[in-house]
Amino acid sequence: MLAFVDEQEILDFRAHCAATGKSPQDVAGVACEWEGEGVLHFHQKRPLHGYGKESPCLFTDDCAALEDPVCIEKYGYIVVVAEKTVAAFAQYPKDSAVRKECVWQNIDLQYIPSRENLYSRSQGILEVGALAAKRVAIVGLGSFGSQIAIELAKAGIGEFSLLDFDRVELHNLMRHTCGINDLGRLKTDALYDAILGKNPYAKVDKFPVDINQNLKLLDQEVSRADLVICATDNNKSRFNLNEAVVRNRKVCLYGRANTRAAGGDVFRYVPDGPCYNCLLGNAWYDAESEEITNVESARHNGQIAAYVSAEDAAAKVQVGLSADIAPICNMMVKIALVELSRGIDSGISSLEHELVYDYYMWANRRENRFENWSAMPGAGAKPTILRWYGCRIQKLEGCAQCGKSGFAELDEGDDVEEMLKKISSC
Amino acid sequence: MFEGLFSLLSSHSDDDDDDECAGPPPARIQQEIAVLQKKNVPEHAYHFFLDEKKPYVVFAARTKKRVYTLRIELSGFPNNVPKVFVTKMLKDKYGEKLDSADGSMHVLESEHGWTRICHYGDASWTPNVSLYKIYVKCCLWLNMYELHLETGNDIEYYLNHQK
Ligand SMILES: [Zn+2]
Repeated sequence: MLAFVDEQEILDFRAHCAATGKSPQDVAGVACEWEGEGVLHFHQKRPLHGYGKESPCLFTDDCAALEDPVCIEKYGYIVVVAEKTVAAFAQYPKDSAVRKECVWQNIDLQYIPSRENLYSRSQGILEVGALAAKRVAIVGLGSFGSQIAIELAKAGIGEFSLLDFDRVELHNLMRHTCGINDLGRLKTDALYDAILGKNPYAKVDKFPVDINQNLKLLDQEVSRADLVICATDNNKSRFNLNEAVVRNRKVCLYGRANTRAAGGDVFRYVPDGPCYNCLLGNAWYDAESEEITNVESARHNGQIAAYVSAEDAAAKVQVGLSADIAPICNMMVKIALVELSRGIDSGISSLEHELVYDYYMWANRRENRFENWSAMPGAGAKPTILRWYGCRIQKLEGCAQCGKSGFAELDEGDDVEEMLKKISSC
Repeated sequence: MFEGLFSLLSSHSDDDDDDECAGPPPARIQQEIAVLQKKNVPEHAYHFFLDEKKPYVVFAARTKKRVYTLRIELSGFPNNVPKVFVTKMLKDKYGEKLDSADGSMHVLESEHGWTRICHYGDASWTPNVSLYKIYVKCCLWLNMYELHLETGNDIEYYLNHQK
């Protein structure tokens, strides 16, 4: 039998005993057993979403509990926490011959690592202690946001702010980190569990709201964050978020996939640098080829115009493979970790010399806008397939979002004026 | 000649709507007005209603035949594509109301009983677009609409013809 106990809970239990000086200090906890798999997890508090078969388990610092007939009646398991050691006991089955001699059998115990030890393996590459104090706001928890959230949790980011009003739906599942069991749940709730499943010490704040209707909240969450991930699927929310990150001077990473995830791109905003609106006028950026994954939300956001028939709208939904968006998510995670580790000496800091660009493009296949991209052999410095291509973006003169307030260079529509003149003379 | 029209329009209110966001900041409004002045749009041809719960601006748009009123809603502008209405229900050459989304006529689902013009798609929108440009685009639409009434060709036809 494999049994696990949470090291942090044991440390807290001992600290509590020491602080109160009370002995014995008993806690009625729970044992979660993956039935038929011979695996047990002991917890002092019932996990938020219980799993496996649950049965009562006593945590005590007094091994006299093993002799106590009330405990034998009440608990299937006892965890004895001594000053230096922890031992776990399970009752022999009632029909077991051994039970006449002895009710409890000692079982081997392993630790679920404590806060301090959870990320010890990343130490050296990442400065884990520093990352635990960092807060990341993730706007949009679809296939991009969910993957990024979990990767950042695995890297040891300590605080999250999750913003998405959507629920886990069948059409999300293939590329989403959530599974069938999460169908119908708010994405913020499902991701909350998933993040804590990787890092039980993470602090996760959930905001199941439409940011376009809650700009004050958006501003508040941006201001509290050390870094912002923009993983929404429409420009309306990107512009609202862009305005907030510019105002609050926060690094923000924007990522998206092109149609059928033939490729995708990542844009990094840093204070005083070009912003998302500056990017839009750039020749590299192709706003029209954005991947559309859901008709309903695309209609709501105006990506699919209301006059487009149901049939044509359905044809516009061309979703790529999860494997095709993974490289884009992964790039966003890397840039995020480098940005969050700035000024801290760690193994990942060397990437600061590589990740100097504002805009990164990736092509999965030679298709659509990537049709004419060179093949990898012989591409030289040119953009090619399956290799990141970085470029710098010019700040847009008179940008309405990152320029000085009141000094935007507005598009005065000289082109349409010409058309109007022509048609008026018809 | 537009005064009566404006007071009539300002009494209108609606409750549906997605965005609670306020209108554009004062500095942006000042810039928009500066563009309108530079382009010689007469002062009496537009009026901003900024103290409303959902701010908007009204423009008078003159074609060869008549004068229309355009209402541009400013909630969330300039981060969002603003909604633009001709403040009445227009009909096409065949007497059908222009009240539902139609690609060939470049109109969207109507609200408040008014025809709504589709003037910008989400992908091509940027916060640097001026209200003046939207106004000109909508004047263009109105001219094409009147040609449509004469010939039966749709707006899409004239747009393609222009290019
Ligand atoms: Zn900008």
